[in-house]
Amino acid sequence: MGFGDLKSTAGLRVLNDFLADRSYIEGYVPSQADIAVFEAIAAPPPADLFHALRWYNHIKSYEKQKASLPGVKKALGKYGPADVEDTTGAATDSKDDDDIDLFGSDDEEESEEAKKLREERLAQYESKKSKKPAVVAKSSILLDVKPWDDETDMAKLEECVRSIQVDGLVWGSSKLVPVGYGIKKLQIQCVVEDDKVGTDMLEERITAFEDYVQSMDVAAFNKI
Amino acid sequence: GVGELALLEKLLGLPKGNKYGVQGERKIPVLQTNNGPGLTGLMTIAAHLVKQAKKDQLLGSTAEEKAVVQQWLEYRVTRVDGGSSKEDTRIILKDLNIHLEDKVYLAGNIFTLADILMYYGLHHVMVDLTVQEKEKYLNVSRWFNHIQHYPGVRQHLSNVIFIKNRLYTNAH
Repeated sequence: MGFGDLKSTAGLRVLNDFLADRSYIEGYVPSQADIAVFEAIAAPPPADLFHALRWYNHIKSYEKQKASLPGVKKALGKYGPADVEDTTGAATDSKDDDDIDLFGSDDEEESEEAKKLREERLAQYESKKSKKPAVVAKSSILLDVKPWDDETDMAKLEECVRSIQVDGLVWGSSKLVPVGYGIKKLQIQCVVEDDKVGTDMLEERITAFEDYVQSMDVAAFNKI
Repeated sequence: GVGELALLEKLLGLPKGNKYGVQGERKIPVLQTNNGPGLTGLMTIAAHLVKQAKKDQLLGSTAEEKAVVQQWLEYRVTRVDGGSSKEDTRIILKDLNIHLEDKVYLAGNIFTLADILMYYGLHHVMVDLTVQEKEKYLNVSRWFNHIQHYPGVRQHLSNVIFIKNRLYTNAH
């Protein structure tokens, strides 16, 4: 996230587009988010970027109350459209040479290596930053839980299954489906965050209720 | 009309108890008062309710703001309620879009009764706009979306959806 370089016209253009259908940077009331972006801008945006100018004048009118606006000021990169990076006041590479000189001999080699290492780390950080999904990957899973026989208390079985509480797991609706010989299986829906919950783990936890559960299958698995 | 005044009362935090009636063919709302013939007219009653609730700032603080609020209240009653042909609606949206280009609220930087009554008055129009029209009148959409999220305003009215990604326009 971010608006590019807010000190440049290109950055202001991103801000302008962002504000075309929004009154504020975040939500529907002025907040520290607006103050953070306001302070990054050197001067009022030009008249042709009229959405940005409208927002700028509006936030300026809150100047006296800025400390009392809700929210917490975050780094500029936290605001704005998801696919744009913040490059306002991007730090230029500091002079390697000065630092490395302190190490005495092996100057040349070290400065090359140190530079390479730093660049590698920077690239890693950037790629990690850009890979970070804006939306958490979720899946909707339909589970079939089968009891031992037709005398198993299905209500209790459902209770046991729903008692499994894990971060990233939300239980949905359920129904009993007859499979024959009076036996019913429990079909229950759940939504999981892929990073946090896997079907193996779910199977382990569910089949742990040995008194009620004979087996568990994944009936359907859909990415959301 | 009268339904709107009930919503306004709730928004202002007034206790129930005001008695309303309607007058004439155009169903102009009338507020029965204890002493006297009663107040007639949406604008008049609305302004009265605001003062009753001691929220005078909703009528504007500076002389200029007050005038602008009155301007839009008048606009609401004469233009929005008065004419309702497709052409009239188009003109209204065009006017509003231009006015809201450099303002967050109708009166500039503060939320006023003008925003409230224009929101209620235009709700039925906004509900029927196509995605393309909502983008065409981008400033109106922005303003409307903002007002409908203002605490206490929307109440039971339906939430008009505005999608974030611009589909049609790339030239402003």
